[in-house]
Amino acid sequence: MAAVTRLGLLMWNNPRLIHNVLRNICTVVLNNKVIFYKDIGCISKCNVSCKFLRHSYRCHSHVRHFSGEEEQQHCNVGTIGHVDHGKTTLTAAITRILSKDGATKYISYAEIDKAPEEKARGITINAAHVEYMTKNRHYAHTDCPGHADYIKNMISGASQMDGAILVVAATDGQMPQTREHLLLAKQVGVKKVVVFINKADLVENDVLELVEIEMRELLEDFGFDGLNSPMIRGSALLALNGDTSELGENSVWKLLDAIDSYFSIPTRDNTSPFILPIDNAFTVPGRGTVVIGTLARGTVKKNVEAELLGFGEEIKTSVSDVQVFKKSVPVAKAGDNMGALLRGVRIQSVQRGMLLCAAGSQVVGNHFEAKVYFLTRAEGGRSKPITSKYIQQLFSKTWNVPCRIDVIGSEMLMPGEHGSVYLTLLRKMVMIEGQPFTIRENHKTVGTGIIVKVLNSLNIVKSNLSKLQIKHGQ
Amino acid sequence: MICSNQLIRYLHSSRSCWDSVNKSLLGKLRKKTGYTFSNCRKALELHGNDVEKAEKWLQEQAQALGWSKATKLQGRPTAQGLVGVSVNKNMAAIVEVNCETDFVARNKTFQTLVEAVTSACLQFAGSNQNTGSSLAKIGLDSERLKLLPGEDGKLLSDHTALLIGSVGENVTLRRAYCFQAGEGILVAGYTHPNPQNTNKILFGKYGALVAFRQILPGSTEETVAKLPVEQLGRLLCQHVIGMNPSKIGVAGEDVPACNSDEEKCMIYQEYLLDPSQTVAQFLADSGVSLVGFARFECGEELDVGASPEQHCSSDMAVEVGG
Repeated sequence: MAAVTRLGLLMWNNPRLIHNVLRNICTVVLNNKVIFYKDIGCISKCNVSCKFLRHSYRCHSHVRHFSGEEEQQHCNVGTIGHVDHGKTTLTAAITRILSKDGATKYISYAEIDKAPEEKARGITINAAHVEYMTKNRHYAHTDCPGHADYIKNMISGASQMDGAILVVAATDGQMPQTREHLLLAKQVGVKKVVVFINKADLVENDVLELVEIEMRELLEDFGFDGLNSPMIRGSALLALNGDTSELGENSVWKLLDAIDSYFSIPTRDNTSPFILPIDNAFTVPGRGTVVIGTLARGTVKKNVEAELLGFGEEIKTSVSDVQVFKKSVPVAKAGDNMGALLRGVRIQSVQRGMLLCAAGSQVVGNHFEAKVYFLTRAEGGRSKPITSKYIQQLFSKTWNVPCRIDVIGSEMLMPGEHGSVYLTLLRKMVMIEGQPFTIRENHKTVGTGIIVKVLNSLNIVKSNLSKLQIKHGQ
Repeated sequence: MICSNQLIRYLHSSRSCWDSVNKSLLGKLRKKTGYTFSNCRKALELHGNDVEKAEKWLQEQAQALGWSKATKLQGRPTAQGLVGVSVNKNMAAIVEVNCETDFVARNKTFQTLVEAVTSACLQFAGSNQNTGSSLAKIGLDSERLKLLPGEDGKLLSDHTALLIGSVGENVTLRRAYCFQAGEGILVAGYTHPNPQNTNKILFGKYGALVAFRQILPGSTEETVAKLPVEQLGRLLCQHVIGMNPSKIGVAGEDVPACNSDEEKCMIYQEYLLDPSQTVAQFLADSGVSLVGFARFECGEELDVGASPEQHCSSDMAVEVGG
């Protein structure tokens, strides 16, 4: 009983947990079409109307803002295409048309075109970020001028792309660099592409058909589903000017329908073995050690076998109780902020930054392959290039350890460049593919990156990273 | 599947809309030539659906169309692009060609132009042979580059216009630098990031040329682990790219900066791959002396009004004592 009270108190003192509750309710809202009235404070069932949905969107975008996690009904898209093919006009047209029903703010061409440089995690990114809401989803729309900007976006985690809108002008058809646009989409992990054939009012129908065939073939060449990718013909300029014809506003509505139905959103992973990064831990007298964190993926059941990993430690244990919001529950799902009572673990052996996971599902390691972006001098980074055997402190989640960096396939990386590197940690930690980290030197962030691959651990002799020989089939 | 789709569409449309331009001919012409749909269509209209004549006309028009596009796009900022480096025996050239987005810079057609410009510069360097024993350096600005003939005899400005017509982005030839080394001087070039192809011409965002002289062994009896000349040149270029020195410096004349991080004088800089020694030590150990270097960083800002000779951080022949 004492544990329950303690846990409850802790949760109510932690605003993030409250937001989690809100978010969970909102998720229910969207799935079961139940509307949560924030003002009245009760839950009632009613027909889904745009207004209510928008209300719930706001709730959850508000929550997302605080929780920093991806929401189910949120989707990230990006436009790619040649500079003169009308990406910006299309983006402006989308916001203009959706602004009619109030939930979206109209952003003019000039505003998008003159988007100021953004600073995300200290990194300057040339990107226009525009948001809009369709009847089903909330979209964050990214438009970057160059390849390097999208890669920076991806590595720094400023924005991901769930899908890409490829804009091609019917008057020109694909350009030589369209290949590079699709290569980029592949590289940043975009699985689905929608093609908007712009300036369709300026050419004959037969040309439109040829452009479409050409684009489908090109998509197929790059491993996208060329046959089923939606192709929308229209004119962004007509739509922006309020033309209500088939090629005007209707084409933009068609495009929005296509992205609503064709782009899939990554959902919470409830099936994989669970991972619980530990934010905090405390002792409940008479019961044992409780660890607190937000379940990153999977589900946790009572009495499940688990492992506590990190800082070179591997402790076998089991979860004797699972609690979510001062209640003991039989199961906690991904996204829940939960507490787990661990059997036979002393509080001294638990550290912030460790990971609780399903027994045997994860291993601690000290050697990884990663993609890193090094900040330029102007962004506060180094002035000199990074060469191999570069040893600095690596920060990820709530922990940091010394780390050695070796550049792959080259002797050096200049500030402002991104590239592949090997990471070697002094102490073994759990890092999974896609996990972000930063590298700091003299209390300044000099690099940021994501894990690409977990490699076999190396044997570090006498804690000396610099003497280590790193050999790979380079 | 797509092919059959195309066939069905073709059959369908060829029956229904047989207007002035035949769609399959248009598709064929576009596939063959790669010119824009609107131009292909115009060509077919002008030549009564005769594909061969239309193609010929397009080839003829490409230059003119490229020029008109180039005029239209003139003045749009070009901050991206590539640095090309090529070395042939005692001659070397480094060029910078700019475009608007790095997508284009990664494209093959753009790289072909950089190749053409680099070889044209190398050819130019070879045409006025240096007879002396020192190192001659020739800087070329945008205007002079445009008037250089390419390998096929056409001016580089024509090549550029063709590319602009094809990629629809502004492209500029920014600057070039040529080295002609006299007797006993070796030249080396390198670009960063590491070029994947092992072609004669290297591309990258950064490029460097170095010229150096081997100090004849015999003066020292020590068995210094000497690196092969090619590798040495590469290492020196890497240092120039990475540490961005402004001059070689003369021992005794130039004073080392107080803060080693801001050292711009190459001989006093920490050597890139081994910060425990200075460049001067590295040079002495390797048995070479530096004669000159050039460094280009794509898109870097230049002092307005300075001649290309001044832009380029290169020095007069200097013997570096070990």
